[in-house]
Amino acid sequence: MKKISGFIKTHYHKPLLVVAFFTLWQLLVMLFNVKEYIIPSPISVFARLLVPEMASNYHWLKHIRTTLVEIFFGFAVTAFVGIFLALVISWSNLLRQILTPLLTFFNSIPKIAMAPLFILWFGYGIIPNILIAFLIAFFPVVINTATGLNAVEEDLLDLVRYLHARKWQVFMKIRFPNSLPYIFSGLKISSTLCVVGAIVGEFIASNQGLGFLLKDSQAAIDTPPMFAGLILISLLGMGLFGILATCERIFMPWQKMEQKSG
Amino acid sequence: MKKIFESLKTHYQMPVTILTFFLVWQFSVMVFQVKEFILPPPLTAILHLILPQPHANYHWLLHIKITLSEIFISFTVTAVVGIAIATLISWSRTIRNLALPFFVFVNSLPIIAVAPIFLLWIGYGIVTNILIAFLVAFFPIVINMATGLDEVEEDLLDLVRYLKASKWQIFIKIRFPNALPYLFSGLKISSTMCVVGAIVGEFIASDKGLGYIIINSQFTLDTPAIFAALIVISLIGFGLFGLVALGESLFMPWHDPSKARE
Repeated sequence: MKKISGFIKTHYHKPLLVVAFFTLWQLLVMLFNVKEYIIPSPISVFARLLVPEMASNYHWLKHIRTTLVEIFFGFAVTAFVGIFLALVISWSNLLRQILTPLLTFFNSIPKIAMAPLFILWFGYGIIPNILIAFLIAFFPVVINTATGLNAVEEDLLDLVRYLHARKWQVFMKIRFPNSLPYIFSGLKISSTLCVVGAIVGEFIASNQGLGFLLKDSQAAIDTPPMFAGLILISLLGMGLFGILATCERIFMPWQKMEQKSG
Repeated sequence: MKKIFESLKTHYQMPVTILTFFLVWQFSVMVFQVKEFILPPPLTAILHLILPQPHANYHWLLHIKITLSEIFISFTVTAVVGIAIATLISWSRTIRNLALPFFVFVNSLPIIAVAPIFLLWIGYGIVTNILIAFLVAFFPIVINMATGLDEVEEDLLDLVRYLKASKWQIFIKIRFPNALPYLFSGLKISSTMCVVGAIVGEFIASDKGLGYIIINSQFTLDTPAIFAALIVISLIGFGLFGLVALGESLFMPWHDPSKARE
């Protein structure tokens, strides 16, 4: 009970801020008579989402589902491949020396510029967008996980070596738990990048998804659904981020104390 | 002497890796006879930049100039506005505590999704792309700079307060130098983001620039041109990053970036 009231106490201002933001937006638009195709009022934006007669024009569910599938698969592949590759890199010295400069190199080039290549290779559809999301979100996970796997206290390693721990035991019991905070911070960065990748992929070539809807509405100078699309995209991003934060708390209950003190 | 040797030892990896990467690419394309429109050998792509092509004339210099000016103008604007806003919000602790969480929140959103709205407001052209680049690159600088201005040792502040330093003096002599490493790490992130913003802007709507070449060549299946543009974009990105790193070593000769925390 105390926990809940504490939660409300520390977080009560957030919904208030959101309400204040939308109210201010509505008032400013009304006050200055801003034309709807420039900045629509939040009421007309939400009407496009919620009033059935208006919403049915935009097929929201179809677009949301497409983007959600792209983000979900993009993120799942990113997380698995990223963590796996980082484990491989940390396991073998040789692979680390070969792959680390290559990863650093690829991480520093603007990968989103490669998006049209994927369209050319795989055609229109969900698959190239998943791959684009994967491509730009992948590197932070690998780099963070590998950093975490290596940032172990030397004393601890000495101790378990002295106790004849095997290499996989060191990995399972020391390196992996140690890297969890790094993994989660990498995954959080990647969650945003996955959304970016999926949306940009839809901008470039797609016939469904929220990115497509944004571009399509821009061509039709239909601004309210663009803002509605932006709100939905932000919500998807925040949702993924929130799921990750929850997982972080579940997998690392000890971390919470440190965060609070910090 | 020893220092030069050390730096050679740590830096030789990167060029060697990149060279190997291009060699492996060149030879595997030749050995497996991959079709040029799927994956051209790097040599063909680079020659595309230099030799006149029979089927299309790309005016590389014009497009490179457009993209370069977008990136450099947006980066300059981002840096100036970002530093100014970070300084303004850090002037008062109350404003900072209100504004910074908001900036951090916005930074976690997929900002690039607003690109079509800018396009609708401003229309095609360089200005739109500069604004898109500005918007995606802006938040890392503000957040880093504001953090750096705030994270000053309390003891140091106590000392100079005891010596009756004015707020202005504390800013110039203590907070600002302290923020420099944070600022430069923000600038490095933003340099990449500016490239991303400019290219995505050109993807969505432009008839000039390297992003336009990529999209256009994707339609005409002129894959070597895509790779040529990708190489130039990466070089621009490296160049800007290099300039920021150079600025870092000039403004902070005492600071060793290899020892800096990320």
